[in-house]
Amino acid sequence: MILELKNIDKSFGEKQVLKGVSFTAESGKAFGLLGRNGAGKTTTIRILMNVFPANGGEVLADGKPIDYNKVDFGYLPEERGLYPKKPIIDQLVYLAELKGMAHKDAIKEVDHWLDRLGMSEYRNKRLDTLSKGNQQKIQLITALAHDPQVVILDEPFSGLDPVNAMLLKDVVKEQIAKGKIVLFSSHQMNYIEEFCDGIAIINAGKVALHGDLHDIKRNYVRDRLVVNTTKPEQIKTDFGSACTVTDNGSLLIQLAHPDDKKSTMKRLVENYDIDEMKVFEPSLNDIFVEYAGEQV
Amino acid sequence: MKQFGTILKFELKGYLKNKIFVGITLFLVIAIAVAMFIPNIASIFKSEDGEADAADLPVMLVHAEDGELSALVKQYFDEVFSEYNVKVADGTVENVKEEITSGSAECAFVMDSADSYTYYVDNLSMYDSNTDIANSVLQEVYRVTAMVQYGITPEQAGNIMSAQIESRTTALGKDQMQNFFYTYILIFALYMVILLYGQMVATNVAAEKSSRAMEVLITSAKPISMMFGKVLASCFAGLIQLVAVFGSALVFYNINKSSWGDNMIIESIFNIPVALFVYMLVFFILGFLMYAFMFGAIGSTASKLEDINTSVMPVTFLFIIAFIVVMTSMASGNVDNTLMKVCSYVPFTSPMAMFTRICMSTVAPYEIAASIAVLVGTTVGVGFIAAKIYRVGVLLYGTTPKIGAIIKAVRKA
Repeated sequence: MILELKNIDKSFGEKQVLKGVSFTAESGKAFGLLGRNGAGKTTTIRILMNVFPANGGEVLADGKPIDYNKVDFGYLPEERGLYPKKPIIDQLVYLAELKGMAHKDAIKEVDHWLDRLGMSEYRNKRLDTLSKGNQQKIQLITALAHDPQVVILDEPFSGLDPVNAMLLKDVVKEQIAKGKIVLFSSHQMNYIEEFCDGIAIINAGKVALHGDLHDIKRNYVRDRLVVNTTKPEQIKTDFGSACTVTDNGSLLIQLAHPDDKKSTMKRLVENYDIDEMKVFEPSLNDIFVEYAGEQV
Repeated sequence: MKQFGTILKFELKGYLKNKIFVGITLFLVIAIAVAMFIPNIASIFKSEDGEADAADLPVMLVHAEDGELSALVKQYFDEVFSEYNVKVADGTVENVKEEITSGSAECAFVMDSADSYTYYVDNLSMYDSNTDIANSVLQEVYRVTAMVQYGITPEQAGNIMSAQIESRTTALGKDQMQNFFYTYILIFALYMVILLYGQMVATNVAAEKSSRAMEVLITSAKPISMMFGKVLASCFAGLIQLVAVFGSALVFYNINKSSWGDNMIIESIFNIPVALFVYMLVFFILGFLMYAFMFGAIGSTASKLEDINTSVMPVTFLFIIAFIVVMTSMASGNVDNTLMKVCSYVPFTSPMAMFTRICMSTVAPYEIAASIAVLVGTTVGVGFIAAKIYRVGVLLYGTTPKIGAIIKAVRKA
């Protein structure tokens, strides 16, 4: 399935929150929805899930207006919380039933997921007796138990310890392998980089950048070289202001033009003691700061 | 529809598993049981007290200069003041006063003549009706004595005085005296249940919102299913509680029926005509739903649980005013006054006003039908509007929005 948001506009009162947001996500791939706080990510997700309608634009599934009776969504909201005073199994089964599952299937699936996430011992406990991280794992079940085609995870890794983060990574990879659309919203760029093929950066209600993450990186102007060497002094003096030192001690050499890459590389290899050398590719973090960092 | 059923089941289970709900219901059932056993319990104590000495009763003194008069008055007083130990006082009026202040006697009648006396008592209670009783007795004594003086024999005089007028009353419409008590009880039950459960619905919605469970719920279920599921669940819970309380009252009454004897009030309460009971159910359910929808919508706009009490105030006031109008009209005996007539068509007051009029007066069937029709229409309308407010309200965090902002948002939604 191809899920497409097309020119979505949304205003709350006088305030226009989304201004023509468009992006496309595909089955079997993870998509990262990025943006600073208040950029409009949650509003976009809510429109995608039909919590409220957009003022303009449309949501398409395989090119046709989406039929919410046919496409299931699973959602882990950023603002977590379920029923603190009710037994875990009761509320998980209830929410799975609301998503259309039969009572017996709901119990079976919820038990499966409790087991998968190592939470079976808490099955009949009240939610508020659990730690924050464990409550989050419980809430993750509400997003997955009914086997939805689209899984939306808003900051899924925040508050998880490294072991649980690994567990969640496995679950996410499993979901992608099952051919689902996994839509991430997160500020933890390393996770987005690890999973997502496509990304959209929303800034002040507009899509500032959209596309395949590898393409975006490739298409970046390739006019810098990263050089690792044990003897940097000579290079620094010879290249002057074109050479800077990065945080981790590598040298960054600015080329006058991307076409100078070959000649500069040759010059470096021939004249200096080089351990490693490559064209600089920006990290997602760099890209994010560049596109989302400007005025809000 | 399936979603609605799931929500209804979950919410109802929530009520029935709630310890406070179960506790209150059990408490009410036990209280009713105790109340229904009162005649039995009282008779146990009575039979023990039956042997009580006349000496234990408070002393009432009768004093007259004329010894014959004091003896005669004592003879009559003995009959009417059975809760007193009536004694003829010797000595002066001063002695009598002393006896009262010292506490050895509670009160005293000092007779100046057969038709004039002074009543002495230490602390005059608000409900002291001794002088009223004494007046009527002394009046009778005076009249009999006078008649005897005019040559009528004491027996004849006695017959004349005790002559009774035979009378019968047949109410062609409704007997307000008989209906008053059960109308009162039913209206009061309606009032309590709607206020209590309305608050519960509002709190329930606000709690989901403040715990952020709403974030998942709103993406899982339609607001209209959520609203109707919650409200109907609370309605069922309310009905279950009412059935438990009134049902146990009926059971315990039947167990103790013989000991209640011919208590008019109790009998009238347990002999509600079936038709009235059906009306009661109709008005109860409709009124309940309408108010619960309003409470639910308000709950969805509150961002904190603490705000609930102030937010629901306008609806609570509306309901209390309706209650007061009905109660004062009932007490005045005129339930067909203009205000009540108007109120019985206004949907926010009609559940109580029209029901009261049906119980205590004669209302034409078309009037009842019109009132119910208006109520049904309003309830459905309020339900849909409440669901819309709910959808907008549950996602608004921060300060409680102004009414204008909500109306604007609802119109757009």
